Amino acid sequence: MRTIFILLEGEVRRFLRDKSGLSLTFLVPIVLIYIFGHVFGVSGDGPSGIPLAVVSETNAPVAATITAALQKEKALRIITTDTQAKESKPLSEAQVRERLRAGSLRFALIFPPDTESDDRFGVRLKFLENPRNEIETQTVRGLLEKTIFTSAPQAFLASLQKRASKAIGQPNLDQFNHSLAEAITKAFGGDANETYARISKGTLPTNTGASSTSGNSFLDKLIKIDSEQVTGAQVKSPMATRSVGGWAMMFLLFSLSGAATSLFDEKKVGLYQRLLSAPVRRTHILWSKYLFGMLVGLVQLGALFTAGHFLFGIDITTNLGNLILICFAASSACVAFGMLLAAIAPTSTAANGMGTFLILTMSAIGGAWFPTSLMPEFIQHLSKLTIVYWSIEGFLQVLWANCTTLELLPTLGILLGIAAVVNIFSIWRFNHGQIFE
Amino acid sequence: MLTVQDLTKHYGPRIALADVSFSLEPGEFFGLLGPNGAGKTTFMSLVAGLRPADAGEIFFNGERFSPERIEQRAQLGYVPQDLALYVDLTAEENLRLFGQLYGLSGALLRERVAEGLRAAQLEKRRAEQVRKFSGGMRRRLNLVAAVMHHPKLLLCDEPTVGVDPQSRNAIFEFVEKLHAAGTTVVYSTHYMEEATRLCSRIGILDHGKLLAIGTLDELLAELPFTEQIRIARNDATSPHEAIFQQFGQVSTGDDAYILQPRAGLHLSEFFAAMERVDVPYRHLTVTRPSLENVFLHRTGKSLRDG
Repeated sequence: MRTIFILLEGEVRRFLRDKSGLSLTFLVPIVLIYIFGHVFGVSGDGPSGIPLAVVSETNAPVAATITAALQKEKALRIITTDTQAKESKPLSEAQVRERLRAGSLRFALIFPPDTESDDRFGVRLKFLENPRNEIETQTVRGLLEKTIFTSAPQAFLASLQKRASKAIGQPNLDQFNHSLAEAITKAFGGDANETYARISKGTLPTNTGASSTSGNSFLDKLIKIDSEQVTGAQVKSPMATRSVGGWAMMFLLFSLSGAATSLFDEKKVGLYQRLLSAPVRRTHILWSKYLFGMLVGLVQLGALFTAGHFLFGIDITTNLGNLILICFAASSACVAFGMLLAAIAPTSTAANGMGTFLILTMSAIGGAWFPTSLMPEFIQHLSKLTIVYWSIEGFLQVLWANCTTLELLPTLGILLGIAAVVNIFSIWRFNHGQIFE
Repeated sequence: MLTVQDLTKHYGPRIALADVSFSLEPGEFFGLLGPNGAGKTTFMSLVAGLRPADAGEIFFNGERFSPERIEQRAQLGYVPQDLALYVDLTAEENLRLFGQLYGLSGALLRERVAEGLRAAQLEKRRAEQVRKFSGGMRRRLNLVAAVMHHPKLLLCDEPTVGVDPQSRNAIFEFVEKLHAAGTTVVYSTHYMEEATRLCSRIGILDHGKLLAIGTLDELLAELPFTEQIRIARNDATSPHEAIFQQFGQVSTGDDAYILQPRAGLHLSEFFAAMERVDVPYRHLTVTRPSLENVFLHRTGKSLRDG
């Protein structure tokens, strides 16, 4: 028994001195639990802030009623005005379509001029979407259906009252409403005056059957939503196309950070002493590592997309040139990340630990596992600092939205910019650090 | 060929090398002898351009040595103490890679690779990954990889550490052959036998200071005695330890006493005394002092104590 305790003590001491082991044991799960908690609503807040543009081209009261109901929905962030313009103006359908196509907006609800018409009873809406993320799309569709189907009937009754008043005159309608209120209170109880007031205002009791199956079936006939997929409709294998970028990035980061930490192994066996005593400069070593990483990254991405093409039907040929460009930029940024790890970590173990932590965190907040729009707002801001976010954006632009090179340029610029800044810092660290001593 | 002037290096508050100065003529075989931590590797790394010196100058072929000057580094060969090889590559691939880094190509490269494999006695295992090699094989390859370009100055930092006798002899022979071909060699070691066998001139380094420099004879001439007597330690000799001490300084080892005779002593007096106490001559051996004695004389401690 004593022997076991002696060995146990040794294990504990070693574990406590292993900073990367400690961080992997405690920090990584805590960070990931925090993110998962926000995404799946464990924290109590639930998902927040999926942008939904609402364009109203009608004065119909139902538009205001539904918009107000949507604004109360925490999981959605309702955008009704063009915030990019100097003066705040209501959004137009054309603007929304452009943003959906560019990917800066994924969902829009349009109340067209004929939302309500004298020719028919009920409402007609348009739902435009860029469903580039399955989870996000399902969430928005579900919330939209729930909100519209619970708030629209209120508007219908008001509309019905208005129509009835027009048809039979207000005195006759009042008399009808009184009779109806008395009949209801006689049958179900309650106060006749209160019931009359509700009927007159077109307000349903809270336990209305709107949410029941038969109610839904009835409402389906009254609420007509024309859905239109603005972007990605041509994609043959939507599920695989949408998720391939995120997974590709995670594996790329793992393999390239591993390749960069080989710097430590080579230092350990004294290879840099031999190389640097030869006609070799530090920059030669770093460039060879960088180019090797790029090569591995491009081959890995190439293999992954080719496999995706044959196994899941992902279309990689239509926009092949841009796919190569984004693969180049993503690999470049990932190699830079690996070099940064090697530059700032004191040992190979520390670099691996730090790498695992950063890769999992970046994948989680960068949108590799679930859409960033489901995360708290500050994480959404943080995600834009990650390589994963911009790489996924780039892959979706190319594979999902079939963008042009010009449209892809900003994303390429950001990724290459991140790579350049990180590389400059890493080279500075390498020249002032101990890896080559 | 190589001149160092007041070479100094600190690691934090610790002095690794303090004002080391000497010059080497072309074709010399210079040994840097000292215990572990004496500053030998630091000296080598400064001359190889791996670290900057805090003070002092290095001149190579009369020109100030600058690590930035690739053409100067191309004339150096450095054998690091570590086995600095790509273990996933084969012996041949390693030699080819290092040869290419020194600008070799084509037939010359092929010739040098073959020559290197022969010298490292690895011709039959040329296509095997280095990770499968024994320590001795790696050591030999480590040495050969540094001389693919036939450098003018070869820096060997303890190239025989942890090596079996067979590999050690192969390394000695190889370095001696290079020296015979005109290469200037700086060879650091903490084995006095290696320095004695190989080096034409030896510098003794301890705690970063160059304590002495000269040929073996010059260094030994510093000692106050020219011979020493080894007396086997056994039942026949042990009772007479007090008598030994009458003739000089005696140090006691596990299996022998070492007598350093006092100045002016005629050895015949000692042997006569041994005859009187019936110590047989077979237990007595007259030997020449070694670098160990020089180190002990200079520092008051054994070379092996470090």
